[in-house]
Amino acid sequence: MKNTLQQVFHSGKFVIGFSIFMFIVLTVIIFPLFVKTPPLGIISQGSIQGSFLPPGIYVNVYDSIGVAPYTLLLDDATAKRIASKLSPDDRTAIKEWLLADGIPEDQIDTTDTKSLMNLWTSNYDPNKELTGMTFAKMRFYQRLNTSLQGILSTQDLTIAETGTVTGTLQAKGSVSQTDYVNVSEVPNVRLLALGTDSFGRDVTPELVSATGTSLLIGLVAGLIATSIGLVLGLAGGYIGGIVDDVVMFFTNIFTVIPSFVLLILISFSIGQEKRGPVVIAIVIGFTSWYWTARAVRAQVISLRNRDHVNLSKLSGHPIALIIFADILPYIASYVFMALILQISTAILAEASLSILGLGPKTTTTATLGQMMNWGLIYMAPTMGKWWAYLPVIVIIALISFSLNLMNTGLDQVYNPALRE
Amino acid sequence: MSEVMLEVKDLTTKYITRYNEDIYAVDHVSLKVEEGKTLGIAGESGCGKSTLALSLMGYYFAPLHYTSGEIIINGRDISGMDPDVVRKSILGTEISYIPQAAMNALNPTRKIIDFIEDVYHAHDEYKSKAEIYDLACECCSILGLPKEVLQKYPVELSGGMKQRTVIAVSVILFPKILIADEPSSALDVTSQKMVIKMLKDLMKDGFIKSMIFITHELPLLYNVTDDIMVMYAGQIVEKGTAKEAVFDPLHPYSKGLMGSIIVPEHGLRDIKLTAIPGVPPNLKNPPPGCRFLPRCKYTRAECEANVNLRNLEDGRAYRCILSERELRDAYRMEAEQNARK
Amino acid sequence: MKGYTRYFGTKLAWFAVTFVVAFLLNFFLPRMMPGDPVAAIVARMAQGQSNASGVQAIYKQYTELFGTNKPMIEQFFIYVKNVFHGDFGFSFSQYPRTVSDVLKNSIWWTVCLQLPAIIVGFLIGNILGVLAAYLKGGYDKALMPISIFVSGLPAFGMAIILLVIFGVTFRLFPTSGGYGFDLIPNLSWGFVWSVIIHYQLPFWSIVLIAIGGWAIGMRSMSIYELNADYVKYSRFMGIKDWKIILYVFRNAMLPQITGLALAIGTMVGGALVAEIIFSYPGLGTTLLSAIKGQDYPMISAATLIITIMVLIANFALEILYGFIDPRIKAAQAD
Repeated sequence: MKNTLQQVFHSGKFVIGFSIFMFIVLTVIIFPLFVKTPPLGIISQGSIQGSFLPPGIYVNVYDSIGVAPYTLLLDDATAKRIASKLSPDDRTAIKEWLLADGIPEDQIDTTDTKSLMNLWTSNYDPNKELTGMTFAKMRFYQRLNTSLQGILSTQDLTIAETGTVTGTLQAKGSVSQTDYVNVSEVPNVRLLALGTDSFGRDVTPELVSATGTSLLIGLVAGLIATSIGLVLGLAGGYIGGIVDDVVMFFTNIFTVIPSFVLLILISFSIGQEKRGPVVIAIVIGFTSWYWTARAVRAQVISLRNRDHVNLSKLSGHPIALIIFADILPYIASYVFMALILQISTAILAEASLSILGLGPKTTTTATLGQMMNWGLIYMAPTMGKWWAYLPVIVIIALISFSLNLMNTGLDQVYNPALRE
Repeated sequence: MSEVMLEVKDLTTKYITRYNEDIYAVDHVSLKVEEGKTLGIAGESGCGKSTLALSLMGYYFAPLHYTSGEIIINGRDISGMDPDVVRKSILGTEISYIPQAAMNALNPTRKIIDFIEDVYHAHDEYKSKAEIYDLACECCSILGLPKEVLQKYPVELSGGMKQRTVIAVSVILFPKILIADEPSSALDVTSQKMVIKMLKDLMKDGFIKSMIFITHELPLLYNVTDDIMVMYAGQIVEKGTAKEAVFDPLHPYSKGLMGSIIVPEHGLRDIKLTAIPGVPPNLKNPPPGCRFLPRCKYTRAECEANVNLRNLEDGRAYRCILSERELRDAYRMEAEQNARK
Repeated sequence: MKGYTRYFGTKLAWFAVTFVVAFLLNFFLPRMMPGDPVAAIVARMAQGQSNASGVQAIYKQYTELFGTNKPMIEQFFIYVKNVFHGDFGFSFSQYPRTVSDVLKNSIWWTVCLQLPAIIVGFLIGNILGVLAAYLKGGYDKALMPISIFVSGLPAFGMAIILLVIFGVTFRLFPTSGGYGFDLIPNLSWGFVWSVIIHYQLPFWSIVLIAIGGWAIGMRSMSIYELNADYVKYSRFMGIKDWKIILYVFRNAMLPQITGLALAIGTMVGGALVAEIIFSYPGLGTTLLSAIKGQDYPMISAATLIITIMVLIANFALEILYGFIDPRIKAAQAD
C-alpha cells in the first residue's frame, strides 16, 4: 500500500491534478471562514448600467467626501480627467461636426485637447442644422456638449446640503481638483473581485459557495454511483449465473437509455419543491452507475478464475472473505479511478441539469450550473458581462481537468505500457 | 568448400533504456554460417540470443541500436545500409525471421492470403492476386500445409497450425538464411515434431540455404544443428560442431548446461544432474573480466581481467583463460568424485 | 450468413425490450409530477373571464381533451394507441400546436447537427490518437495535455467559449438560431448559406470535445497494439510503416466502436445542452421550453425520441461491429 502511494505521488500528472483539486477544495473550505458575506445576499440594485456590476473596487462616494482630503499635485491629473470624459470616438465626432461646419481640416487637431475644445466652444451652436445630420445626431451633439461643460475648468466643486430648517441649499464644503482621499480611511469600500451577477449578488462569495455545493453534489453522487456499481459488478461478476444475467440486463438498459434523459425525467417529476442539492445528488448517483458496474464486472470475471481465488475456494473460505481478501485488493485501484470519473461526470451532470432549469432549488443554494443558468438566461455572454459566466466555466473546467489528470496519472501508474 | 552464407564480424548492438542507459546485449559477436549448414545458438533466457537474431536482420528500431561490426550476407555487408533498401531487398528475401511464440505474430484481423499479398507488395513485387495465390498454394503443398489455411483468419487456426503458417510466410520469398527463434517452444510435443520436421525438410530440399536455430532446449540442438554456439551475458562462450559442443564442452558454463540434459543415450546415463548456482550478471554495468566469474568453480585471479575468445582450429573456440587440458582434467576429476558418491 | 441471423436476432430482441422499458419510463415519470398542468392552461385561456361556471366549463373541456381525468392506466393505453398513429397529443405550452408538429422540425435540425458532428469527432479523434501513439515525441507531448483538458470540458463549456471568442468578440459567426431571423426557409442560396454559417459554432463545439475524448482513448489502445507481436513480425517481413499504422488503426478501432456505442448516450446529452447555448432550433431548445412550460406531453415525446435515436444508433453500431470484426465473422461461419 505504501509502495503504491509512493508510486502514485511520483507520477507528475497525478500530482498536478491532485494539487489543483485540493487547492479548489481548500479554497472552498477556508474562504467562508474569512469572508462572512452571505453568498446569496443581494447587494446591488439596478444601476445605470443595468444589474450586472463589473468587477472593481467600489468606493462609497458619500463617505469619501466626508473624509479629510489630502492634496496631491500630479502632472497628468488634468489630462487623465479630460481623457476620461472625451473618448477618441467623441473626438472624432467633434472633428466631424467641425468639418461639416466648414472649419478647414488643418486647423483641427484631435490630439490637442485645448485647441479642440477652443474650436468647439467657439463654434458650436446647438441649433445649427448642418447638412446631412439626422435629428438623433443633433441630440447626440447636444448631449455631448452638456457633458463637456466645465471640462477645462479648474474650479472647486461646492457641496451643498438642503437645510433642515430653512429648506434652501446651504454650502457645506468644497472639493478641489487636487483633493485625494486615502482609500483605507474611507469607511465603506467594497472589493467586488468578480462584480455582481444579474440579481445583484457579489459573484466571488457566490462562486465559492456554488463550487462547494457542486463539489458536494459530485462527491455524494459519485460515491452512490460507485457503490452501486461496485456491488452490482461484484455480484454479477463473481456469482455469475442468473444473478449475472439480471445484473447485465439492468446495466444494459441503463447504458443504452441515455442517463441524461432519465435525469431530466426524474428531476422533472420530482417537482421544483423537493429538489434540494442532496436529492439531486441521489438522483444523479442512481442514474450513472452503469459504467462502474460494467467495468468492475469485467475485472471480476477475469479475476474469478485466478489461482489464488481458486485456492481460497478450495480451502472453504466463505464468499464474503474471498471477495474482501482476494478480489477487492486487485480491483481497488480500478474502483478508485472509477470513483474519480464518476465524481467528475456527476458535477457535469448537475451543471447540465441546472442549465436546463432542473437543478436544485434556486432560492436557497447556488451551484455552478445554476450560475451558468442565470448567466445564460440574462444574456450575459452576448452582453459582454464576462464575469457572470467565465469564472464559472473556468472553475468547472479546472475541476474536470484536475480530476481527469489525476485519473490519467493513476492509469499510467497501473499500466506501465502507457508511461512515456 | 561450401559458400559462406552469413558472416558476422565483431557485431555489437545495444538497447538504450528510457533513462538513456546503454545495455550491450550483443557484445562483439562473430560467427559464420555455411551453405547447407544449421547453426544452433544455445543459452539461458536473457543471454542475448533473441537480440542477436534481431540484430542480424540489419533492420533496427528503438530501443535497439546498432553500434559496430559487420554483417556480411552473401558477400554484401548490410551493416551500414539504408533501412529502406534493407527492408526491400534484404528482409524476407535474403534473410528471414521466425519469431518466438509465432502464434501471436499474425495480425488477427487479416486473412493469411491477404497478409502474404502485403508481404509481396512490400518488396515491390506487384504480382496479381491470382499469381500470389498460386505461389502461396505451392508453398503450402511443399510444406505440407492444407491450402484452406490461406483463406482463414488466424483465430481459426490451432497453435501448431499457426506456427507452421508463420514458417510458410517467412520462407515464401525463398530467403537464403532463415533464423528460427525458439520455433517449437510454445507447442505441444506432436506439433513440435511437425515443426522441426518442416524446418529440416526445408533445409534438405534446398528451399533455404542455411538456418540459424535458437533455442534453450538442449536436446533439440543435437538433433537439428550442425554447429553450436553457446552464449552467455551477451558474449559467445563456446563454439564448435554439435558433437563437440554436446559431448566435449570446454567452457565451464557449457559444461554445466550440457550437464543439465537428461538424454537416454549410451554413456551419459551415469552422469548426475548438476545445476549452476547464481544468476547472470546485469548488463547495465558488465564486469570487466569474465562474466561467468561469480558462478564458476575453476576461477583464478587472472579471471578478473579481460577474457578473450580463444580460437582453436576448425572453428572451435571457447572463452576462458584455462587451457584445454586444464579444463578437461578438472572435468574428469569432478566426474570421478561424483561417481564415487 | 446464417450464423448472422442468430447474432442479429438476439440483438434485435434485446433492443425491443429496452425500447419497451424506455417507453414506460417516458410515459410514467413526467406524469408523476405534482400539480395539474391543465389548470395552468385554463388560467391562461380564461383570462378576463370572471364567470366561475364559465371557467369550470372550459376546465372540463380541456380535461376531456387532454384526457387527464381518466385513470393513469387508461391514459397509458390511449397514449400507446395514439403514438402508433404518430399522434403525441397536444402541446401544453404551445397549444393549439400538436407535439408532433413541433417535434417534426426539431428532430431534423438535431439529427443534421449531431450525427455528422459525432461521426466527424470520432474519426478525427481516433486518427489523432493513432498518430500520437505512433509518432511519439513532440506531437504526442503536445497533444496529450490539450486533449485531457478539452475532453474534461463539458460540451456547453466549449460551446460558450466558442460563442464568446468567435461570436461575440470577433463577430465571425452568429450566436443563435439555425438561420437568420429575417429569413424564411426556402431553397435559395442566401438561406442555405445562412444555415451553414449558423451551423458552424454548434458543430465545432461538439466535434472539438469529441476529438479530445477519443484521441486519448485511441492513443492508449494504439500504444497497446503497437507493442503487439504482429507489429514486430510485420516489420521484419518488410512491410512498410504506413501499412502497419493501418493495421494498428483497424485493430484498435474495434473496441473503440463498442466504446462509441456506450458513449453515444452521454455525447447526445452534452450536444443537446450545446444546442441550448446557441438557441439552435433542435430538440435541445424544444426540451428546454417544454420544461419551462411544464409541458409534459412534449417532454415525454422529446425524451422518447432522443431515446429512440440513441437506441437506433447503438443497434446500427452493433451491426457494424458484427460485420467488420473477423473474429465474430469467423465464429458465426460454422
